[in-house]
Amino acid sequence: MARADVKEIIIDRDQPGQPHKGKVFAAVHAHLDDIPLFAGGLCAKLVREGYTGYLIRTTNDEKCGGHSTAENILSNEQEHYKVGEALGFKEVFHFYYQNHEMDNISSLDLRARLIFLFRFLKVDTVVTFNPWGHGEENPDHSVTGRAVEEAAWMSGMANDYHEHMEAGIQPHPVKERYYFYARPGQTFNRIVDISSHIDRKIESIVECRSQGGGNHGSLLKAKLAAQGKRLPILGNDDRTADREYIRHFMLDGERECGAPHGFAYAERYYYIDQRGSEFTKVDEYVSKNAVAL
Amino acid sequence: MKRRKFLTHSTLAGAALPAAAMAQAPARATSPVTPLPLPAKTTAAAYANKRSGYSPFTVPDYYSYADDLQIERAAKGKPHQGKVLAAVQAHSDDIPLYAGGLVAKLVDEGYTAYLIRISNDEAAGKTLGYGVVQNEIDNREVAKELGCKKAFSFYYRNHRMDDCAEIEIRQRLIFLFRVLKVDTLITMDPYNHYEENPDHLVAGRAAEAACWLAGTSKDYPEHYRAGLKPVHVREKYYHARSPNGHNLVNRIVDISPYIDQKVRGNVANKGKGPAGEAGSRLRAELAKQGKKLALLGDDDDTANRQYIKHFLMEDWRLLGQRFGLQYAEAFRYIGSEGSHQANIRKYVDANAVKL
Repeated sequence: MARADVKEIIIDRDQPGQPHKGKVFAAVHAHLDDIPLFAGGLCAKLVREGYTGYLIRTTNDEKCGGHSTAENILSNEQEHYKVGEALGFKEVFHFYYQNHEMDNISSLDLRARLIFLFRFLKVDTVVTFNPWGHGEENPDHSVTGRAVEEAAWMSGMANDYHEHMEAGIQPHPVKERYYFYARPGQTFNRIVDISSHIDRKIESIVECRSQGGGNHGSLLKAKLAAQGKRLPILGNDDRTADREYIRHFMLDGERECGAPHGFAYAERYYYIDQRGSEFTKVDEYVSKNAVAL
Repeated sequence: MKRRKFLTHSTLAGAALPAAAMAQAPARATSPVTPLPLPAKTTAAAYANKRSGYSPFTVPDYYSYADDLQIERAAKGKPHQGKVLAAVQAHSDDIPLYAGGLVAKLVDEGYTAYLIRISNDEAAGKTLGYGVVQNEIDNREVAKELGCKKAFSFYYRNHRMDDCAEIEIRQRLIFLFRVLKVDTLITMDPYNHYEENPDHLVAGRAAEAACWLAGTSKDYPEHYRAGLKPVHVREKYYHARSPNGHNLVNRIVDISPYIDQKVRGNVANKGKGPAGEAGSRLRAELAKQGKKLALLGDDDDTANRQYIKHFLMEDWRLLGQRFGLQYAEAFRYIGSEGSHQANIRKYVDANAVKL
């Protein structure tokens, strides 16, 4: 487990009530299964605590699904809506850039679209890939993470895409970022307890049937049945089989991450908070040192 | 440093004193050529434009005229009331020089117009910073003089737009076309042959593609989430620009009633190009030598306007003369395609018989 060595790791537990009421977050992923697998627990937690969430997928996922390229695009698109529903997102967006080929697109085009959405939706917080995360072999992940990081900053700058103001869409900086832990060795500085949200996370993974292992349980159940066998943990129907397969075989990382802190399940993030204090160091100095004229 | 000073001076003086400066310039050696009649049974495919020699940026070398060439004259009343046009230019002097008369005419006939500049025009000015600021001001002032409601600038680096992501420029234009509900585009011909300025081609191509894509439902659908609607930019006027170019023309626009407004649009363009305050500079130069040119009048404002009208608009006068007009501008016009479905329905209605 690598960790950020600059600060202590923060433990983020469930908060009572809806402390984030009125705030907006955007979960931006490249593929159908990224958010469910890497950040499904956090997204469910933020929604439960009052955030309004939007789910943005940057690719068309054409390479995954086991069918023709066209059929894969359709199945991933439809499952993306279901993932959004499972995690409580208000709305789902798709950009449909070509899967596995995002390093060949104009990063400016992608960034401009994200800036537009961050401003229009008044996004306060983003959840996405760590654009500086090591060990990343999928170009779609790196490109998406970088574009989100840049857009989060630029969406607050009045001179970037000033034409948005013509439509009444104002600059709006994104001040909080959760970069997920996607590959072994990536840095993190926050552990989020997702124990009470694990069922929602599982439900979102179940919807990832074209990729992400959502239907592995029912496939195994059918395979065993053909051999005249069954696994009791998989239950008696396909939906149960899919859910329980995920719970038993696909969440080891979340269990390992939570165990040292006494949590059943946890997710790791590199968290950046740029909200700052309204009372600056200069204000502090002035309040202490200003004298009467 | 010295070389830069020399270049600055020569550019300014060249704009202000064409005749005097050229008279002293050494003649360049050229190979002897003679006019040659076309061989028998051949027809000219291009027509050489008459040039006054007073301006470097007016009509191209050649026009090819389509056999459905039309003259667009001033219309009475406000036939275009409720319609919106976007004049998209790479640089602050493009629209005023090449299509200022058309913009003024269409605004007078009811259009709401917007001027969109794609580059930052940094390559024209005392320093890069001064150039950017002056041209930003000019773009706004040109818009006012031509009757545009508002001016936009995208500020891409001047002369370097072939290094930009064209798809991003197109995205921004699609957004603006949708927000402003644009019906008609005026811009540089994206097929400007022999064009040496990359900004012109990039701007023209991005604008042309944006016209179509602004009307589709699947391109940048997030705009619709913000309440925007698809728009169909159904009319396009492409103007030529390359001094050595060869362009297809199917529409001649009579800009005679609007020539003075076009002149004012060019006076407003101070940061670059041959217009702006060239008249008052020439007047001052002559005054230092104890001379004056009667046509420049007795004040700077008159000098600027008269200089532009008599020198820089001369090629537009010569073009007009070819068609019996006082002043004209030439365009490749692309109109509404009409409804194919409606045409098929019309045929069906006329020809369907009982079973």
